[in-house]
Amino acid sequence: MAAQLLGVTTPDRERAVGYARKLAGSTADAFADVPRFLRLKLALLGGAFRRSPWQVVGLVIASLYGVGMMALLVAGLVAARFVPDVASVRAIVIVSGAVVTTGFLLLPLVFGVDDTLDPRKFALFGIPRNRLAVGLAAGSILSVPAIVLAVCALASVVTWSHGFWLALLALLSAVIGIATSVLAGRVATAVAGFLLDTRRARELTGVVGVLLIVLISPLVLSLSSVDWGAQGLSVIGVFADILRWSPVGAAWSVPADTAVGHGGAAALELLIALATFAALWLAWRALVAHMLVTPSRSGEAKTYSGLGWFSVMPGTAWGAVAARSLSYWGRDARYWVSLVMIPVIPIVILAVFGVVHAIPGTYPALLPLPIMVLFLGWAAHNDVAYDGTAIWLHVVAGTTGLADRIGRLVPVLFIGIPLIVIGTPVSLYFYGDTHVALALVGVSACELLVGLGLSSVTSTLAPYPVPKPGDSPFAQPQSVGAAAAVVQGFSIAVILLLSAPAIVFGVLGVFVDPAWFAASLWSGLVVGVVALVGGILGGAAIFNRRGPQMLAAAVRAA
Amino acid sequence: MSSLPETPSEDGPQANPVSPVEPAEEKTTSGSKKPATPRAQRTRSTAPRTPRAPRSTPTAKAAGSAAAKPASGSAAAKPRAPRAPRAPRASRPKAAPEVQPAPPPEPKPTALGIRQLYKRFGGTVALDGVTIDVPEGSFFGLVGPNGAGKTTMLSIVSGLLRPDSGQVVVHDIDVWKQPDHAKRLIGVLPDRLRLFDRLTGAQFLYYCGTLRGLDAQTVKTRVTDLVEAFGLEGAVGRLVADYSAGMTKKIALAAALIHSPRVLVLDEPFESVDPVSAANITEILQKYVAAGGTVILSSHSMDLIQRICDRVAIIVAGVVLDSGTADEVRGAKSLEERFVELAGGRKAAEGLEWLHSFSE
Repeated sequence: MAAQLLGVTTPDRERAVGYARKLAGSTADAFADVPRFLRLKLALLGGAFRRSPWQVVGLVIASLYGVGMMALLVAGLVAARFVPDVASVRAIVIVSGAVVTTGFLLLPLVFGVDDTLDPRKFALFGIPRNRLAVGLAAGSILSVPAIVLAVCALASVVTWSHGFWLALLALLSAVIGIATSVLAGRVATAVAGFLLDTRRARELTGVVGVLLIVLISPLVLSLSSVDWGAQGLSVIGVFADILRWSPVGAAWSVPADTAVGHGGAAALELLIALATFAALWLAWRALVAHMLVTPSRSGEAKTYSGLGWFSVMPGTAWGAVAARSLSYWGRDARYWVSLVMIPVIPIVILAVFGVVHAIPGTYPALLPLPIMVLFLGWAAHNDVAYDGTAIWLHVVAGTTGLADRIGRLVPVLFIGIPLIVIGTPVSLYFYGDTHVALALVGVSACELLVGLGLSSVTSTLAPYPVPKPGDSPFAQPQSVGAAAAVVQGFSIAVILLLSAPAIVFGVLGVFVDPAWFAASLWSGLVVGVVALVGGILGGAAIFNRRGPQMLAAAVRAA
Repeated sequence: MSSLPETPSEDGPQANPVSPVEPAEEKTTSGSKKPATPRAQRTRSTAPRTPRAPRSTPTAKAAGSAAAKPASGSAAAKPRAPRAPRAPRASRPKAAPEVQPAPPPEPKPTALGIRQLYKRFGGTVALDGVTIDVPEGSFFGLVGPNGAGKTTMLSIVSGLLRPDSGQVVVHDIDVWKQPDHAKRLIGVLPDRLRLFDRLTGAQFLYYCGTLRGLDAQTVKTRVTDLVEAFGLEGAVGRLVADYSAGMTKKIALAAALIHSPRVLVLDEPFESVDPVSAANITEILQKYVAAGGTVILSSHSMDLIQRICDRVAIIVAGVVLDSGTADEVRGAKSLEERFVELAGGRKAAEGLEWLHSFSE
């Protein structure tokens, strides 16, 4: 075993020593610009506070929340020092450390980060490559996730302060862990910058992200079926024993394994951690060098023939708006995300219910359809903002509010009606009683129609900033005010409120008397149609008046 | 197709009083296309008031026929349509100036009247009482330094930005009181605003035409013509998002023409457009003006404005410092010299001596 270990470690060690020597050689020069980059990053962070008061309030609340969470984590890590069951502490620390480092590596790839410290932005300053690589890596320590990680990692030194040498080892590993995570984030961001350079690729990230969530959900589901109270720690222990050998977990397991007496394993893990760090550093330096001489590229364009939806829809103003909306729902990744999310949300909700067994029997079968329709009807509530400043065309063309409002609702109806038509029998099949069909249709139709009517008003009255066309659907818009949250919450609440009669009658039908089902259907249809017509007419009147204001809002958000 | 006959009939009677002057403009504009003309124009400035009538006489016939020929040959059916009924008009004055030289210049009807426009953004005054009259059938150039308020003014004219006070009248229709009617008369090319770029070029043009209330068949014909006229044949199948800046400008300009507006409001129409396309666009616009249309455009290219515009306004810090015919405004100087003089003069390039001792 020992020979085997040596056989593995010797080249690692030699390589590590080689890298260290290389590093040392260029250190003095390479670190020259670090203070400058730190100041730059501080200025960039500070810039976030030089915005409208509401945004600052939002930022402050978010920061307070973050600080609170961090305090809790630190308190937990300090308290863990006094837990007698060191093996459990070890497992938890290793697993959470590995998850965090993985997060630094994966999140930029999946969601595509807008990189304020992109090496390409510094290409014209002629900064020596090593200095730039060190400076940019150091600068990225001053980001919120990295600061939280650093504080928690340093708190873990307390966790392992069972002795002086152990604490010192813990400090060393914490520094390696922080550096590895930050560098992993830098490398991932740089790679993402390359992969996601074209518009098409950028747009795909959102879809990939949602798919990833879907792919992970079985894992989450299987994990959620674990009886955590009884077996939780042993499950984590199994994960910890795998992850401690991985590049993402090695640094965190060095003090942990030392504390429980696995000195040899700890030494090997330390080498893995150092090698990971060195490899990431080399990758980062090479990426910086490469990016400095590689400007942004543009992808090749796809060619379409014919007029697509425009030849299907009538040649009127509303038909054209509808065709345009349909093309956008099909082509624009920002719409795809809201579409892909719609089936995901009920799955997640069902999984939660399934885990806690909150609803007995087949009743959960009645939930997915109304939930999906709720979010579908809500999906268009900010539709005008998705146009960006392109809305000028509707303004100068004197497009009537009515044509604009109706056209924008067509795609939602195109999806919503088949969804209800197919979803109802499927729900009935799993539920087992066909009488409930009336209520299902009533509630779903009500939510869809109310949602559409409400969207007609909110999208013209209160558009809030969204990712710009061509950006990643998860890219944060330049300015997100409190308006977004208010509009989102308000519109969902109004849909639920107006659908309440249909929902209540439906629930009464299920639990009291099936006669209520008819009431649910009719109340749902009446409320829905009234809300739709009222919403479209009201929204049209507002649209006619607010053309310049909508454009001004779009210009501000751009 | 239904809208084709009604546009000309609407134009016809109103445009008639202008006709005596028209061939002259046709001449100057089409003649001045050649880069050699600035000098020729300068000589004109000695007789600033009625330069056109005499100049038009020798070549009026040639100019008239020259303008008519490419119109039927290359240009789009759409620009052709409003011109068709004017053809007789064009021939009538062609004979007229030779018989009775210099007919008294009747005051042309105002195509675009901008009266006392004020607009401020927060503490910044963007427009400080701008008043401009753009006569029908003129090619009006708006020049000014960066941030002078050109885009603000053109946005207000096109109905995109509400003025604090003031009035914009397009062919006697108030843009901010009867927006629906006024917007039908205006074609707009805004600067720095997105297009619906997730549509292909063909879809985008079709979309613009349909929003403007044209029926499907008319739109399709006009799209075909515009695509040909602007040389976008190879690009109509691609998404506008994948266009280069110049191509985006061209397709936006094509979209502004699709409903055959009577007034074109173009903000920086030549920015990032290659010289060949720019010459193309200039020709399209000149024919449009010759047919009685009105163009108001902004540009930073003094040379271009001097070449193609017959009327000019210089706007600095939200105030119109000078406006009138191109010759009146520039006097004996070039437009560029006059502009630099009005815009506060050039900064002497002092204090940059270190720039001339190069670092390695």
